[in-house]
Amino acid sequence: MRNMITFVIVIICAVLFYFTIDSALDAYRTNWQLPKESEQELTNRLVLITQELDTPFWDKVSAGAREQAEKEGATLEVWGSYENNQENFLKQIEIAIYSKVDGIIIQGLDTGEFKEILKVKAASYGIPIITVANDVPSSESLRKTYVGSNQYLAGELIAKQIVTDMGTTGEVILMLDSRQEFYQNQRLQGIQDYLKDYPNIQLIEAKTEDSREQGIALTKDLLNRYPNVEAFIAVNANFTEDIIEEIERRSKVEPFHLYSFDDSRASLALLKQGKLDGMIEQSPNEMGQKSVNLMMKWLNNDTVPLDLDGYLTDIRMVKALDVQ
Amino acid sequence: MNTIQKKIWLLAIVVLLIMATIWMSLTFYNQKMQDQYNNILERYLVMNELTISSQQMVTSLNNYLLIPTAEDLEQMNSSKEQIQKMKEEVSNFKNAENELALTNYINLIDSLIETVNRSIIFQTESGTENARKALNEATHISDYISEMTLTLIDTELKTYDRFYRGIINQSEDLNQLGIWLLLLITFLLLLYTYWFSLKITRPVEKLTRAASELSKGRFDLKIEVDSKDEIAFLARMFEHMRNNINNLISEIKQKAQLEKELQQSKLLLKESQLISLQSQINPHFLFNTLNTLSKKAYMEGSEETSDLLVSVAGLLRYNLKHLDKSMTLHDEVNVLNQYIDIQKARFTDRLAFYTEIDESCLGIEIPGLTLQPIVENAVIHAVEPNEDGGTIWFRVKDRGDRVTVEVEDNGPGMSADTIRQIMDEEQQHDTMKGHASGIGLSNVVKRLRLFNGCEDVIEIEGNVGSGTKVIIHIFKERRVDQDDKATNR
Repeated sequence: MRNMITFVIVIICAVLFYFTIDSALDAYRTNWQLPKESEQELTNRLVLITQELDTPFWDKVSAGAREQAEKEGATLEVWGSYENNQENFLKQIEIAIYSKVDGIIIQGLDTGEFKEILKVKAASYGIPIITVANDVPSSESLRKTYVGSNQYLAGELIAKQIVTDMGTTGEVILMLDSRQEFYQNQRLQGIQDYLKDYPNIQLIEAKTEDSREQGIALTKDLLNRYPNVEAFIAVNANFTEDIIEEIERRSKVEPFHLYSFDDSRASLALLKQGKLDGMIEQSPNEMGQKSVNLMMKWLNNDTVPLDLDGYLTDIRMVKALDVQ
Repeated sequence: MNTIQKKIWLLAIVVLLIMATIWMSLTFYNQKMQDQYNNILERYLVMNELTISSQQMVTSLNNYLLIPTAEDLEQMNSSKEQIQKMKEEVSNFKNAENELALTNYINLIDSLIETVNRSIIFQTESGTENARKALNEATHISDYISEMTLTLIDTELKTYDRFYRGIINQSEDLNQLGIWLLLLITFLLLLYTYWFSLKITRPVEKLTRAASELSKGRFDLKIEVDSKDEIAFLARMFEHMRNNINNLISEIKQKAQLEKELQQSKLLLKESQLISLQSQINPHFLFNTLNTLSKKAYMEGSEETSDLLVSVAGLLRYNLKHLDKSMTLHDEVNVLNQYIDIQKARFTDRLAFYTEIDESCLGIEIPGLTLQPIVENAVIHAVEPNEDGGTIWFRVKDRGDRVTVEVEDNGPGMSADTIRQIMDEEQQHDTMKGHASGIGLSNVVKRLRLFNGCEDVIEIEGNVGSGTKVIIHIFKERRVDQDDKATNR
């Protein structure tokens, strides 16, 4: 009995000691995770600004850029606006300029305000600008160079594909953004130049604002006006979804020849579903890498000046059949 | 000495130490947490202040451009200084997670100050148009600064999220620790208190029990208390007292024993005297008659008879006189010879008596009438019943520290039982059968023992059929005290 009591007391003691020490260790182990001190001064602060954050295309661009920045020892931030919010986009550019970053890599926007900011503010703060994916002419923006696809060539590729798929006769609707940006004009130019040799192919250019309602309304109108239309080209890739939605509302998508570019959220998914017949695939990852690489070269005075015509990245035609 | 007081002090100090430790660690922890909180709060406050100052500066600039007054300029300059100072402070907030944003923020502030300066320069150079443009720009930048502040604070919140969670978790841990600690300390204290009270009460209990035993009269139980405090001291003293009492009592008991023995010897003497007295009237008459008879016999020419009568008379006189005195061995031997003479006259040839005496030993003292009863015993048991008579040897020998007197016969012997009965002095088996002095062997044994003050004064050797040998030891060095007591009474 006495032994029993001693045993129980010892057990209780041990248990109490264990839990006390355990909780004491818990309580006094400082696991406050304070952020690390930054050691070195930041050099080569680069900012990548886009209007279309969180689209697959721009995700790839920023991934490539980040990768390259890490390699080159630069710090890169990706800023931007969602859904082509231009006001916010321009504000971001201004903030970047006033923040005196070392270099700005930017999605070109072919508007007066944009060019004004680049020309006046960026130049007065001495910040180099590289446009990526979408270009604005250097003479109007004082950009150092352009990294991205040759949009003219992209237009030609699409035109070529249409001729192959549809034949040499037929009506083709070109969906254009009414802002007539530089890259869009380049694409249009490419298509038009290529189809010049096929007089039986009738090109119908349709312009509207880049918004969902307008896109659908225009498609509806076009389908009514041109019942014999055989092919659609979404020169501004954002219209792709609107066109397909409107067509599906009336009939099947399959008889139509639909073409687009990959710099839109929906393009790839639609291509996989077979609703889109072909898509120009660009090289967003390469664009990111190349742009950071060139910016670093500029900042380190390795290559001065940069090629004003731009550094072109690969493009190719992807057909629905290839993906499926 | 580990005293009770010390123990109490120890307990108090230990409890105090534990409490102090807990209090100190809690205070330390609280202080640390407070510092962190203050630090974080400070960041927010500084950033907020910076925003307000920048807005103020733009407002002053606006006022200044409308109506250029020195006051506005001064105001502007002061807020510029303030902003510069806060900018320094803000730049200390840099860490790995917000360094980009913070650098941008600081550069924005720089840009703002530059723009404001530019605007003032344009104003002084009367380029009002450009000044207004710069003001416009400054307004924009100020807006961006407020926006950036919000973003930064937002980032801070995100960055410090884990930290806050850590703090919350830690205070929960601390609560838990408090509970466990409370339980542990309570348990330990209870245990210690139990042990401590036991340490005090157990010895007291033991002491109480010992005291009650003592009061009941048991003095032989040892008092043991295995502690080292005042109680142990008390117990030691108590034990000492018990020992003393015990010793005293045993001394008293010993004395009582002695007293008893003396009393006994007295009684035996009385008994012997009584027996003598019983025959006192006759002896005197007998004595005189014997003397007369002796003279008569002598005159009638019967000398042998006369001698015999003298012997009887001498024996009788000795018996009457010297019963309670110690005599020399020499006197005893003389009386013995007279007795043997008488017995020889009685038994004639049937009794053979041989002596072997170391003359140097005859001076030793011996209680009166000890040898004669022993020899008489031998005569009664070895010679009388035997028709052919018997032989008795009498020897006196010097054995160093003692003198031994041996009386040996060749009679029928004694059984071991009988010998034991004789040696066991409590047994009153004496039959006065045929004894001249009326003194039995037991009486002799007792007196010898008392005289010598020890038990092994007499040995009886003998088996049935092989004779008996009685050996008496008389120590040369008698114990003085006992001798005194024996002779004084």
